[in-house]
Amino acid sequence: MSTADSATIRRKSLKKTITDSRAIQLIILLIGVVILWSLISAIIERPDRYLPSPMTTLFSSVDLLKKGVLLSFYADTLNRLVIGSVIGIALGIPFGLLLGLNRNIADMFYPLMNFFQSVSGIAIFPIIVIWFGNSNTTVMIVILYTSFFPIAFNVLSGVRSVPMRYISAARTLGASRFQIIKDVLLPGAMPSVAIGSRLSIGFAWRAVIAGEMLAGQAGLGNMIFAGQELDNTAQILLGMMLIGLTWIMLDHFLLRPLESDTIERWGLVQR
Amino acid sequence: MTGEAKLIVQGLSHHYPDEYTGESVHALDNIDLQIHENEFVAIVGPSGCGKTTFLNIIAGLLPYREGRALVDGTEIRGPGPDRGVVFQEHAILPWRTVKRNIGHGLEIRRVPKAEREKTVQEYIDLVGLSGFEDRYPHELSGGMKQRVAVARTLCADPVIMLMDEPFAAVDAQTRITLQDELNRVVMATRKTILFITHSVEEAAFLGDRCIVFSRRPGHIKTEVKIDIPREDRVWKDMVDNPKFTEARDNILRLVRSEVTNDVDS
Ligand SMILES: Nc1ncnc2c1ncn2[C@@H]1O[C@H](COP(=O)(O)OP(=O)(O)OP(=O)(O)O)[C@@H](O)[C@H]1O
Ligand SMILES: [Mg+2]
Repeated sequence: MSTADSATIRRKSLKKTITDSRAIQLIILLIGVVILWSLISAIIERPDRYLPSPMTTLFSSVDLLKKGVLLSFYADTLNRLVIGSVIGIALGIPFGLLLGLNRNIADMFYPLMNFFQSVSGIAIFPIIVIWFGNSNTTVMIVILYTSFFPIAFNVLSGVRSVPMRYISAARTLGASRFQIIKDVLLPGAMPSVAIGSRLSIGFAWRAVIAGEMLAGQAGLGNMIFAGQELDNTAQILLGMMLIGLTWIMLDHFLLRPLESDTIERWGLVQR
Repeated sequence: MTGEAKLIVQGLSHHYPDEYTGESVHALDNIDLQIHENEFVAIVGPSGCGKTTFLNIIAGLLPYREGRALVDGTEIRGPGPDRGVVFQEHAILPWRTVKRNIGHGLEIRRVPKAEREKTVQEYIDLVGLSGFEDRYPHELSGGMKQRVAVARTLCADPVIMLMDEPFAAVDAQTRITLQDELNRVVMATRKTILFITHSVEEAAFLGDRCIVFSRRPGHIKTEVKIDIPREDRVWKDMVDNPKFTEARDNILRLVRSEVTNDVDS
């Protein structure tokens, strides 16, 4: 009892030390990037046109905030990302599972999936615009399309890679088909579900930005595009930074905790 | 032998089909075997002779067409909780804690949580895993993982327990400990056990009977009775027990002759 407890405490404090040193590393990295950026911006000619300083970029955000557009752009974009990728993943997981469980269905759908997976979201854009115009629907369809395949493919291969002996063990304990799916195949496919979700959300994130640019829908993508037309380089940089920072936050507060509570805790992947 | 026959195998043969050549691999040949209640039967035989094939058929994981196999009077058709299996490579689930692995069989049978936890705790204590209830398998040693596997099977309370070289993957020292422990567990639970092993010593130490398989296609070459009371089967005493050494040497000779034949042919 006591050995198990102290080991848990040791593990926790070790984890905290690692987190602390990571945070320090991140701060050093950030400071470095800001200094380098400021330096370049200070020595080039016409920095407002080519590379506005970090300060100028920050001020432009205050400007946009005052106008009230920054928050609404940001909310529009996040909204699309969340709805699009949640639906894409919610459809992709059962579809991948179905294919992983049934070889006949998998053989039937595989060529089709392979075909569509190679036709990127950008490549289907024109036809979707023809069907649905430059609308929000168009952007949503592209996001959904892009996020569906990575998760479906990964769940399929994840289910297939669950070692036979785990399935046999559950069967000899009297597990029904449903119980095998719930207790063995789904958790066993978790490493692939994690990889697939990461890819799906990452692709969806790119699709939102590209979709907003091409379909001219209000949002961060559109803000960047408009920045170029308005000769407002600071606005472009601001948009880029928000895109990148949002991804880092998603990774840190959503994807990583999910992974460390499941596949890392189970020892299925090493960090 | 005491008690009724829990496992009855009659004229069981098995051929693995080969899809590419069309020829088949003859793995088992006309096996007749009965295992009675509370009996511990060990099977030894050369590598590739069909021991795992035999166990998988009894477990219901491998369909058979030639011969008959009955557990508790019922023809085997697929796996079921009446036959618990401890696999050679540990097959406990990495995403379940020790406690939840051991209780998995009861969970599958929808035993209420309170009752389940009580039973699970008994088996955790029995195999000496107290203090590790909430650990995940990757945090355990090889020997501990096999203890979990044994406890999981016992906890589901099967009619017969099937073990396929369960201690083959652990070091010699741990192996001796696990063998002593298994004996203790067998005395406490009075389980009927079919135990496959490569080790002649292990078979002689644990088995009431030892079945010697021929090389492939596996058939029963002979059987050796090991008439030592379970209470006397402790490693520190067994090494000088003449009944044990005699049985061991006897089995060893029989297995050797199979392997030598193999080399000659
Ligand atoms: N799925 C399969 N398809 C075709 N042949 C198989 C299959 N499984 C086993 N065999 C063959 O059947 C024979 C018996 O195999 P089995 O695994 O039962 O042997 P074993 O006695 O358990 O060997 P070991 O002691 O090495 O574990 C071997 O010749 C093997 O090659
Ligand atoms: Mg084997």
